[in-house]
Amino acid sequence: MSELNELAYWMALAHAAVNTSVKNDVLIKCFKEKKSVVDFFSMSTQDWNSVFGMNLADVDALSRAKEQLANNAFAVENLLSQGFVLIPSTSPEFPQLLKDNLKKNGCPVLLYAKGNIGLLNQPSVAVVGARSASEISLDFTRKISSKLAKEGKVVVSGFAKGVDRVALDAAVSVEGKSVIVLPQGISTFASGFKQYYKQIIEGKVLVVSAYAPKVPWSTRLAMDRNRFIYGLASEIYVAESNEGGGTWSGVMNGLKRGCKIYVRKPDDGEKNANRILIEKGCSPISLGGENVIEYPIAVPQMQAVCEEKAVYNAEKKEPKKRKSRKKKEATLDLFEAEDNQT
Amino acid sequence: MLKRQEAECRLKEIFGFDHFYDDQWSVIEKVFNKERVLVIQKTGFGKSLCYQFPATQFNGLTIVFSPLIALMRDQVTSLNNKGIAAQCINSNQTQEKNDAVIEQAKKGELKILYIAPERQGSVSWQEAVRQMKISMVVVDEAHCISQWGHDFRPDFRRIVDLVKILPVDIPVLAVTATATQRVQDDIQEQIGNGMSVIRGNLLRENLRLFVVKVKSENEKKIRIAEYLKNCEGSGLIYTGTRVNTAVYADWLNYVGIKAAMYNGSLEAETRVDIERGLQENRWKAIVSTNALGMGVDKPDIRFIIHTQMPQSPIHYYQEIGRAGRDGLPADIILFYNENRDDAGESFDEKLPLSFINNAKPKIPEYEAVVEALKNEPLGERGVMEKLNMKQTPVRTILADLVEQKIIFKNDGGKYEYKYDAPELKTESFEKLRLAKLEDLNAMIGYVNTTEPRMDYLRKYLGDKIDIPSSNCDNTNLKGFLDNSLHSDLWTNLKTFKNERFPELVPKKTSSLDIGYALDNYIQEAGEIGQILHHCKYENGGDFPDELVARMARMVQKKLSAQHFDMLLYVPPTISGDLVKNFAEKLTVRIGVPLSHDLKKMRLTEAQKIPQNAILKRSNVKDAFGFASPEILVGKNILLLDDIYDSGATMNEIAKMLKKNGAETVTPIVIAKTVGGDL
Repeated sequence: MSELNELAYWMALAHAAVNTSVKNDVLIKCFKEKKSVVDFFSMSTQDWNSVFGMNLADVDALSRAKEQLANNAFAVENLLSQGFVLIPSTSPEFPQLLKDNLKKNGCPVLLYAKGNIGLLNQPSVAVVGARSASEISLDFTRKISSKLAKEGKVVVSGFAKGVDRVALDAAVSVEGKSVIVLPQGISTFASGFKQYYKQIIEGKVLVVSAYAPKVPWSTRLAMDRNRFIYGLASEIYVAESNEGGGTWSGVMNGLKRGCKIYVRKPDDGEKNANRILIEKGCSPISLGGENVIEYPIAVPQMQAVCEEKAVYNAEKKEPKKRKSRKKKEATLDLFEAEDNQT
Repeated sequence: MLKRQEAECRLKEIFGFDHFYDDQWSVIEKVFNKERVLVIQKTGFGKSLCYQFPATQFNGLTIVFSPLIALMRDQVTSLNNKGIAAQCINSNQTQEKNDAVIEQAKKGELKILYIAPERQGSVSWQEAVRQMKISMVVVDEAHCISQWGHDFRPDFRRIVDLVKILPVDIPVLAVTATATQRVQDDIQEQIGNGMSVIRGNLLRENLRLFVVKVKSENEKKIRIAEYLKNCEGSGLIYTGTRVNTAVYADWLNYVGIKAAMYNGSLEAETRVDIERGLQENRWKAIVSTNALGMGVDKPDIRFIIHTQMPQSPIHYYQEIGRAGRDGLPADIILFYNENRDDAGESFDEKLPLSFINNAKPKIPEYEAVVEALKNEPLGERGVMEKLNMKQTPVRTILADLVEQKIIFKNDGGKYEYKYDAPELKTESFEKLRLAKLEDLNAMIGYVNTTEPRMDYLRKYLGDKIDIPSSNCDNTNLKGFLDNSLHSDLWTNLKTFKNERFPELVPKKTSSLDIGYALDNYIQEAGEIGQILHHCKYENGGDFPDELVARMARMVQKKLSAQHFDMLLYVPPTISGDLVKNFAEKLTVRIGVPLSHDLKKMRLTEAQKIPQNAILKRSNVKDAFGFASPEILVGKNILLLDDIYDSGATMNEIAKMLKKNGAETVTPIVIAKTVGGDL
C-alpha cells in the first residue's frame, strides 16, 4: 500500500468530478516527473492549467476535491481501522490485468478492498449472465464455476442475483477463491461481510469496490460495475446473455479488447442471445460431465484487435523489466504504453 | 503570516491578555506555519492558548481530541465566556445536545470542537465529520499515546493514525504536561512527519513535598486525620484501592472531618456530584482512586496525600500536579509503610507490584479470544459471555490485538479477525513489564532520596536542573509534619474499626432492602476480609465465633428498630456449611428464628466462577425456592451470606421471596467488596 500520508490525496483524485482519463493523465504526468499525488495537490491551479493543460471545469472540480482532503483523512483512518485496504493504481498490489483491460479511459485510480488482496493478481475467470437466467444456465454456472474454482482459478463476480450469486456460491462451496466486485461503496456491504466472514478471514474471498466508500447500491452502478468484472478476468464464461443487456455490452467490450470469451452453447429453442454472441466470435462450449467441450469458433476475431494487442505487448516489455528490478516501485506501465501510442 | 505585534492586538481583543510568552509565541508561529508540534509544558504554562488563539484566526474548525470530559466542559465554558464559538461532544451530554453541536459544526458556526478520541469509532461522527471544514487538529494529553507513559489509552491509537493520514497543510498540535524523554521520543516516532518538540521545565516551585514513613496502616490513618485537623483548605487523598476509598472516607467522617469517597465503581451521576462538590469545597477531602484524574481543574487544591505510593514517579508527578494551580503553596505528602512481611516484602510495594505483574492477562486468554473471533465477529460483551471473562482483561486483550493488527473493530462495534493477521507478539509485554518495574524502583528511590524531592522528580522526567530546588522535607522543611506524631485518636480508631458496618445499598431495581456488612473485604493482616478468605478458600474451618458475636452486635446496633420474623441463609455451593453453621450460632444470639427452607432448585456454580455480572445473573436466575412458600406472606426476613459482591445471588433470592409475599428482605453479610475486588 502507498504511504499512509498519500491516501487522503488518492481519495480526492479518485472521486473528483472529472473524467477517468483526466485522472489517469495526472498520474501519468506525475509518474514521469517523479511527483506524488501529494505534490500534485500542492500545486497551484495555474500549474494545473499550464503544466497539465487542464480546462477550467476540471481545475474547478479538482479544487473542490482538494478542499475535502482533511475530511478524506478522517474517512481513510476510519476505513483502515475497520480492516479495509486502499489500493492506489500505482501500487504493486493493484491488479495489472485491470490496467491492461480498461486502459487510461476506464481504469479506476483507487480500489477499496477487504480480504486477501493477493487474489487480484492471480489467474481469474468471470462467470457472467443475466439476473433472470434460466435453470439450464444456472446449472451450467454452478458446474463451470466450481470446476474452474477447483482448478485454482479466482472466480470474479458481481454479487448480483442469478448467475453472479450462483457462480460465487459454487466457488465458495468447493473452497475455491472468489472476488466480489461491488456495485456500491465498500462500507455499505455489512451484511455481505457477515455472510462471508469465514471465507474472507481464510483468504478465499476478496471484496472490492471502485466507488466512494459510502455510495449506496444503484442500478446505474450495477451496470457500470460490469466493466470491472470483465476487466479483472482473463477469461470470461457467459452462461446466458440477452441482446443489449449488461452482459451483452460487457461481452462486446471484451471482444473488442481481444479477450477470450466462452459462451454456453444453447440448446435449440432457447430464447436468449447466446447464439448471436457465438456468431460474433465467442467460443461456444458445453459441459460433458466434468469436461468442457469447446467447439470451433464461428468467425475469426477482428484482425485490428489482434494487432493492437500485439503492439501493446511489445511496448509493455520495456517498463516490465524496470519493474522486476525494483519490485516495490510504483507501476504505471500500462498508462505509459498507451500514452506513447497517442 | 500574522506578525506577533498584530497577533497580540487580537489576543488582547479576544482573550484579554497583553502578550504571549515567548515559548507560547514560538508554538503559535509553528502552528500558523502549518507545522506539527509537540508541546511539553507544566500545568499553568498556558498550553491551551497555543491552539485556542490560532483556532480563532483560522477559517474553519479546530478539532481537539481530549480524553477528559470534565476538562472539555470547563474549557468550553471559559471560551464561551470570551465569546468564542466552542462546543464539545461527549457521552455525558444528551443525544439531542450532541446532534445540535454537530449541526453547528457542519454549518461552520464553531471555531473549536472538543471530542473524545473514542468518538472516532462512532458512525454518526464519521458521517458528520465528512461535512466539516477542518483547519487544525489538536491532541490534548498527548502522553496517552505512549504505553511508556502513565496513562496509555488505546483509543489514542486511532488519533495517531489519523494524524499520519492528515494532509500536509493541516497543522497538528499535541500537548501534555507530563512526558519523560522516552514518552517524548515515542510520541515523536509514532506521529512522525517531522514533528518538532517544544519542552519547558517542569519545576513546580509552590509544591511542598513530604514523605512520611510509618510503621502500620493504622498509623497512616491517624497521621492523616491529625494533618487534616490542622491544615488549611481542601484537597485530595489518593488510595491504592477502591475499598480504601470507602474505609478512609468513613474514618475521616468518624473523627469529624468531612470527606467523600470517589472511585470508578460509583454511578456516573454520583461522580459528577462529587466533582461538583469538590469545586464548591463541600468537603475537606475527597478520598479517591486515580479515577478522579486529570479532569480536576480546581485552582486551589491545598494538599494531595497518597496513602499508597503510585507505580512510578511519572504517575506521582501527574497526580500531584493538580495541587496549587493558583501558584500558592500546597502540601504534597506521600505515606510509606516501612513494614515488611515474613518474606521480607515491603507492604507498600505489594500493590503496585501486583498491578504491574497482572497488567496483562495470560497468553492462553489472548489465544482463546483470537480463536473465538476466528469463528464469528463479537463485541466486548460477546467475548465476555462466550469465554466467561471479566471486562478488564477482555478490554486489555482486545486493545492489544487491535494494536497488533490481529483484529479490528467494525462499524457495528464488533471485533473481527483480520485476514493474514500476524501472530501475537508477546515480547513487548515483557519489555513493558520490566520497564514498569524499573519505574517502580525509581518511585521507591523517591521515598528514600536525600536530594531535593522536586529535583528527583524533574530528573526522572528528563528536565535539566540548573539551580537545586527546595521546599521539601529534605531541605528547608525538615520535621515539618512531626506534630502529627502524637495523637489521641488511637482509641477512636479502635472503636471506629469495631463499629463501622458498611451499608449494603442495593441498586434501584433490586428486590433487596438496605442491609449491612461487618466490614469491607480487605485483604490485610488481621482484617476480617482476610480471616474470611482463609476459612472459605483455604479450608480454614468455621468462621470464628468472634465474627458471630460481632454480627449480633451489628444487628442490634443497626437493625434494632426493625422486627424480623425469620433468619434465612444462602444455600451453599462449594464452601460447604460455613454459612449454615454461622447462621445456627447467630440465631441463638439475636433471637430471630432460623429456617432451613431456602433451597437451591438446581445446581449453580460458585458465584466466583462466572467472571462478569451478566453471567453471574444468569448463573443464579430462578435457582432458588422455598419449601413452604405460603408462610412467607407478610414476613420480614433477615438474609445471611458471607460475601456481598455483585449482590446477584441475594437479589435473586429476595425476588423469589417477595414474589411469594415476603414484606422485607434485609441482607446481612460478613464482608462487602467495593467495585468487584473479589
